[in-house]
Amino acid sequence: MTNLLYAALRRVLLFAVTVWCILTIMFALFKLLPGDPTAIFLDNNMSMEMIEHQKQLWGLNDPWWLQYLHYIGNMATFRFGDSFFQNQPVSEILVEKVENTCAMIVPALVVSVVFGTILGALAGWKRGSRFEQTTVTTALVLHSAPSFFVGILVLMVFSYQLRWLPPGGMVSLGGPEGFWALITSTDYLRHLILPGLVLVSREITGPILLVRSSMLEIKGSDFIDILRAKGLTEPRILTHATRNALLPLVTYIAVMTGLLLQGQVLLEIIFAWPGIGRELVTALGDLDYPVAQGALYVMALVILLLNLLADMLYGVIDPRSR
Amino acid sequence: MATRWQNLQGLRVILRYWSGTAGVILVAAFTVLAVIGPLIAPHGPFEVVYRTDHSVLRLSPPTWRALFGTTNQGMDVFSQLLWGTRVAMLVGLLSAVGSVVLGTIVGLVAGYFGGWIDEVLMRLTDVAFGIPFLPFAMVVISITHPSLGLVIMLVVFFLWRTTARVIRAQVLSLRVRPFVWAARAAGAGHLRILLHHITPNVLPLSFLYAAIGVQAGVMLEAALSFLGYGDPNAMSWGTMLNAAFQAGAMRTAWWWVLPPGVALSLFVVAIFMITRAYEELLNPRLRVL
Repeated sequence: MTNLLYAALRRVLLFAVTVWCILTIMFALFKLLPGDPTAIFLDNNMSMEMIEHQKQLWGLNDPWWLQYLHYIGNMATFRFGDSFFQNQPVSEILVEKVENTCAMIVPALVVSVVFGTILGALAGWKRGSRFEQTTVTTALVLHSAPSFFVGILVLMVFSYQLRWLPPGGMVSLGGPEGFWALITSTDYLRHLILPGLVLVSREITGPILLVRSSMLEIKGSDFIDILRAKGLTEPRILTHATRNALLPLVTYIAVMTGLLLQGQVLLEIIFAWPGIGRELVTALGDLDYPVAQGALYVMALVILLLNLLADMLYGVIDPRSR
Repeated sequence: MATRWQNLQGLRVILRYWSGTAGVILVAAFTVLAVIGPLIAPHGPFEVVYRTDHSVLRLSPPTWRALFGTTNQGMDVFSQLLWGTRVAMLVGLLSAVGSVVLGTIVGLVAGYFGGWIDEVLMRLTDVAFGIPFLPFAMVVISITHPSLGLVIMLVVFFLWRTTARVIRAQVLSLRVRPFVWAARAAGAGHLRILLHHITPNVLPLSFLYAAIGVQAGVMLEAALSFLGYGDPNAMSWGTMLNAAFQAGAMRTAWWWVLPPGVALSLFVVAIFMITRAYEELLNPRLRVL
C-alpha cells in the first residue's frame, strides 16, 4: 500500500513538473520572441502616456523574472485575464468552448467504446474468420486515413449533395438557448451526426484492436475451459470473457481522449463547431493572445491530466503492474 | 536476433503480403511523381491559366486543357497536385529522418546508461508527450514566420518522443544480454558497445518508426497547411485543400477538393500498409489471416 502511495505521489510530482515545463515553454514563446508584443495589440492612435499606462497595467515594464513568476502564478490559478476583442474574461469564454467540445467528443467516445468493444470481442472470439479479417482491416484503414479529408468528403456527400444533414455548426439559427436545452434537442443531434461519425470511424479502432488482442489471450486461459466444462452456452462464455478483456480498455480510454483532443482542431474547423480548437484558431487569427494562450494551456493540461489518470488507474485496476 | 543482414531482407518479407506489395508500389509511384512531377506538370503551382481569348480559366471542370480542372483563381489543379507531391515527399522524408535519428539517439543513450541520464531524458519525453501538436505548432508558427523548414522542425519535435521510448525499452532488454557482457569483458568501451553491438539490433525498430514518421510528417504538414499555417510559397496538398475549403469548393468544385484529398489518403494508407506488414512480421499476434 505504501508502495502504491509512493508511486502515486511520484507521478503527481512529475505531473506538476511537466506542467511547469510546458508553462515555461509557453512563456518563452509568448514573451521572449523577437518583436514587442505591445506593437501588435495596442492601437496606433493611443498616446505615449496611454501606452505606458497599459504596459504598466500588464506588467510589461517589470523585469522578466518577475513577469515569469506572475505568469506561472496566474496560469496555475487559471487567471487568464480578459480577451482583447470579446470584452469578456478568458476563463468564461474557455468554459463555454470546452463544454461545446465535450458535446462532440463525449458521445463519440461512448459510441466508439461500446461498439468497439463488441466488435473487438467478436473478432477475437472468432479468430481467423472472415469477420475478424474484415473488421480489423476496415478499422485500420479508417484509422490511418486523414480524418479531416474524411470530414470534407462526408460534408460534400451528405450535406451539399444529398442535403440530408446540416453543413456544420452545433445548432441552427434560432435554435435552443443554453447548454442543457441545446444538447437535449434533436437539432443538436442532427448537427452531431457527421462530425460524430468521423470521430467514431477514427477512434473505434483502438477499442477494437485492444479488446481483440486481450480476448485472444483470455480465450486460451483455464477459466474459459472451466466455464465450457460447466456446460455454459457460447454467448454466456463470451460475456464472461469480454468482461475480463475490458481491463486494459479503461486506461486506454484516457490516453485515447488525449490523442483525440489534438486532432479536434481540424474537425471543429471543418464542421464549424464552436469548440476550444476552433476558438484557438480564431484567437490566433485575431491576435487575441490571452485567449490563444488560455486555450493552448487548457488543452495541454487536459492531455496531461488524462495521462496522469491513465497511469493511476493502471496501478489501481491491475495489481500485476505494481 | 536480427542482424544487419536480416534488415536488408525486410523489403522481400513485406512483399509477401499483398497489402505490403500494394503499399510499396504506391509509394514507389509517389516517389517517381515527386521526382519528375514538376517536369511533366503543364503549369507552375501558382501559374494562372488563360483561355485563347486571354480571359482567366476560372473554376473549369476537368477538360483536356486542364486535366483536373482549375481553381477559382484559374490555377491548374493537376499541376498543383504534381508539385504538391514533391513537397509532401520532402516533408515526409526529412521529418522521418530527423525524428528517427533524434529519437534513436535519445533512446540509446537513456537505455544504455540508465540512472540519472535515463531519468532526465525520459522526463523530457514525458514533457514532449504532454504537448498537443497542432495547437502548439499553430502558436509557434503564428508568432514566428511560416516556412517549410519550420514545419519540418516542429514535426520532428513532435515525432521523436515515440521513437525514443520504444528504442529505450528495446535497449533496456539488450544491454543485459550475454553478448554485451562478452563485448565488455573483451574490453570494448561504451561507444563501441553502443555502436557495434546495440545499435544494429535496434535498427529494425528505427526503420519501422521512420516509415511511420514519413506518414505522420506528410499528414501533419497537410493538417497545418489546411489550417492555413503552411509555407505560403510551397504548394502542398494541405495548401490546396485549404484554398479549396476557403473558397467553398466543397459546394461548387469537387474536382478541386478530391485530387489533393485522395492523393493524401492514398499516400498515407500506402505507407500504413507497408508498416503494418512489417509489424505483423515482428509480432505475429497482430496477424488477421
